[in-house]
Amino acid sequence: MTTAVGNLSIAIQRRFGRQRLRKIILGSIPFAVMITIWHANTVFEWLPPVFIPPIGDVWEAIFFLQEDCAGFVALVMLDNSCLITTHVFSSIGRVILAAIVGLPLGIAFGILCGMSRTLSKFLEPVGVFANSISGIAWIPLAIVWFGVGWVTTLFIMLNTIFWLMFFNSMLGVRSVAKVYEESVLTMGGSRWDVIKQVYLPGAMPSIITGMRMSMGFGWRALIAAEMIGGDSGLGFMIFTSAAEFKIEEVFLGVIFISIIFMATDKYLLAPLEKWTVERWGLVWRPT
Amino acid sequence: MDRLWWHFQQLLKIDAMNLVILVIVVLIGWTIISETIPNPARYLPSPLAVSLSSVDMLVKGLLPSYYSDTLVRLIIGSSIGLAAGIPFGLLLGLNKTVADMFHPMMNFFQSVSGIAIFPIVVIWWGNSDTTVLAVILYTSFFPIAFNVLSGVREIPIRYVNAARTMGASKYQIMKDVLFPGAMPHIATGSRLSIGFAWRAVIAGEMLAGRQGLGWMIFTGQDADRTAEVILGMVMIGLTWIILDHYLLRPIEADTIERWGLVQR
Amino acid sequence: MNSMTPKLVVEGLTHYYPDEYTGESVHALEDINLELYEGELVSVVGPSGCGKSTLLNILAGLLPYKIGTASVDGNVIHGPGPDRGVVFQEHAILPWRTVAKNIGHGLEIRKVPQAEREKRVQEFIDLVGLTGFEDKFPHELSGGMKQRCQVARTLCSDPVVMLMDEPFAAVDAQTRITLQEELNRIAMATHKTILFITHSVEEAAFLADRCLVFSARPGRLKEIVEIGIPREQRNWTNMNDNAIFIAARDRILASVREEVSIAVEE
Repeated sequence: MTTAVGNLSIAIQRRFGRQRLRKIILGSIPFAVMITIWHANTVFEWLPPVFIPPIGDVWEAIFFLQEDCAGFVALVMLDNSCLITTHVFSSIGRVILAAIVGLPLGIAFGILCGMSRTLSKFLEPVGVFANSISGIAWIPLAIVWFGVGWVTTLFIMLNTIFWLMFFNSMLGVRSVAKVYEESVLTMGGSRWDVIKQVYLPGAMPSIITGMRMSMGFGWRALIAAEMIGGDSGLGFMIFTSAAEFKIEEVFLGVIFISIIFMATDKYLLAPLEKWTVERWGLVWRPT
Repeated sequence: MDRLWWHFQQLLKIDAMNLVILVIVVLIGWTIISETIPNPARYLPSPLAVSLSSVDMLVKGLLPSYYSDTLVRLIIGSSIGLAAGIPFGLLLGLNKTVADMFHPMMNFFQSVSGIAIFPIVVIWWGNSDTTVLAVILYTSFFPIAFNVLSGVREIPIRYVNAARTMGASKYQIMKDVLFPGAMPHIATGSRLSIGFAWRAVIAGEMLAGRQGLGWMIFTGQDADRTAEVILGMVMIGLTWIILDHYLLRPIEADTIERWGLVQR
Repeated sequence: MNSMTPKLVVEGLTHYYPDEYTGESVHALEDINLELYEGELVSVVGPSGCGKSTLLNILAGLLPYKIGTASVDGNVIHGPGPDRGVVFQEHAILPWRTVAKNIGHGLEIRKVPQAEREKRVQEFIDLVGLTGFEDKFPHELSGGMKQRCQVARTLCSDPVVMLMDEPFAAVDAQTRITLQEELNRIAMATHKTILFITHSVEEAAFLADRCLVFSARPGRLKEIVEIGIPREQRNWTNMNDNAIFIAARDRILASVREEVSIAVEE
């Protein structure tokens, strides 16, 4: 038995490397301590359960919220009886929708402005100003325009994503050395060739960084928008649960928000950024 | 005619002139839209209406009071956050094992947005200044602490070793090696922290405030005074531009130039 | 010169460390015994991975050891201390301090008053030939100048022993020759006790009073070659014709190559 454990540990060490294994183990210690303290609080009640809910309650809240869910079809149709999945899916749905619409739009406008000096002279200050009205400050006006609901929350996220993407793509295109553009043109390339073969790959690292940044800011803005001007989504859920003092549901929502955000960033956006910088980084950094 | 066009083009080359033209164009476009839509007072009040409302709020003394409330919150919240976050990050980075231990946890907390923990805090302290301040503190503390910790971890170990062989104490290593070595990260992290704090102030005021710009635009929407909402948005935008472009960015750039020599 | 009490003593030093990836124990050093007397320059050569850098890190106090003893001036080594100065392979001078501030850093750590500090710093700046570069930052210096700065920083703290870890490995060939002659001059002027780790046989033979050849892993003290050439006669114009130098160099080279071939066969 002990040799089996020993073999396993050696196998894991071979697979991940001793250093990484050490980091994984070390890194999980504070989380374990945090959960232990959390649980100890339930046992000893230093803080009442109204302020810090027992771990068990948070876990049970999932099933409580899903209780009335009438099967798989209801779950997929975002039936209101499936509370937690409805909120999770409607948040994620907005993120995906905003990404599909906002990212390409921002990139396209950004590249266009990066190419034309005159255009960017006018649109750059607009971009600076729009980025400065940090996403969430649009919420009240969006409510006036679109009422409380899907459109408002989607608008807030789109607005946040678009301007960040626009700005990063524009800066990315501008950082591409003029020589590359000229060389394609002298070889008889068209304007479209220049965009495809010079600007897009040249601005790629900046665009991907912008993507990661805009999804981060966009996700934060979305949660705020759902709280103030939404009628569904995780932000809406934790806000209404807080109003009813159902703290276990608030904790559940916050944990969901953090996990979804971190997973997207760590397993999708960060590797994408790393890959692009490694692949295209040389084009980007002239020094 | 050509000559006139040439003069116009010369004008375009001056940045300030550009900006003035841009603002005029935007204002005219805005006025036209506002004149053509039904019920502009509700959906998009004209620039004139917005400036009239700003005069009104100035006379009543509401605007300066709200504005200073928001700024004071930002300054207090982010200075406490930075003052606590920088030493905390350095302390964690002092020992490699401790640094490796806390890195994932700090990363976790800096990714959980302060706005998301708002409902928890509001249960703890209700709709009060404490709630808003707690959210601001949270949002500014973790990004700076995480950045400082990451910065310290990136300092080549040979610098620390060199100081150790000269007999430096833990405190001297922190003061002479870790702090200056993490300087670029401290600058970047501070700007990030203050940026997050600014958003947290506005969101916090909307959700739990009694005064401030966030409160102003939120109640403006509730009371159908859209001119006040737009006025607030413009103030929020302008303040951040001035803060970011004329204070934070130059400080960050200078610091990186002065201390960012670590990268070979 | 060789007074009876040695400055640095290593007795029966054996060292193992866990491999970074597999965690298996690596036998780095086996029963090392050596003595360094005042004013002596001793070099250590050996094939890659023979544990010479491990030895230096142990002596510097950066690496804890369990088996055997190592002591400087009779004090057993437990961690780093100002009695041993280290010149590192890579440029370990702080990039955010000027040349003068870097050289004075050791004195600053020991809280030496500013006036005295500045006087001593200037002395060593002049010694290593960095006069006029006092207020430059490291990134404004060439590779050779950075290493001069490191040497000056180490000497400025007035350590009992100076430990040098392949200090000239990263500079170009021309600069290396100059730096070797400079170090010879400095050793003569300061009369410091120096342990010099290198992978270059020529460099070892040129600089050392005694050269220690290490075996392939685990590192053992295989052979000691004495090079009895007065310091005044050591410069590259003379040395290539010096029979003692050539004999010593060939002897060391043969010894090291034997070890390299053993290491390759394994």
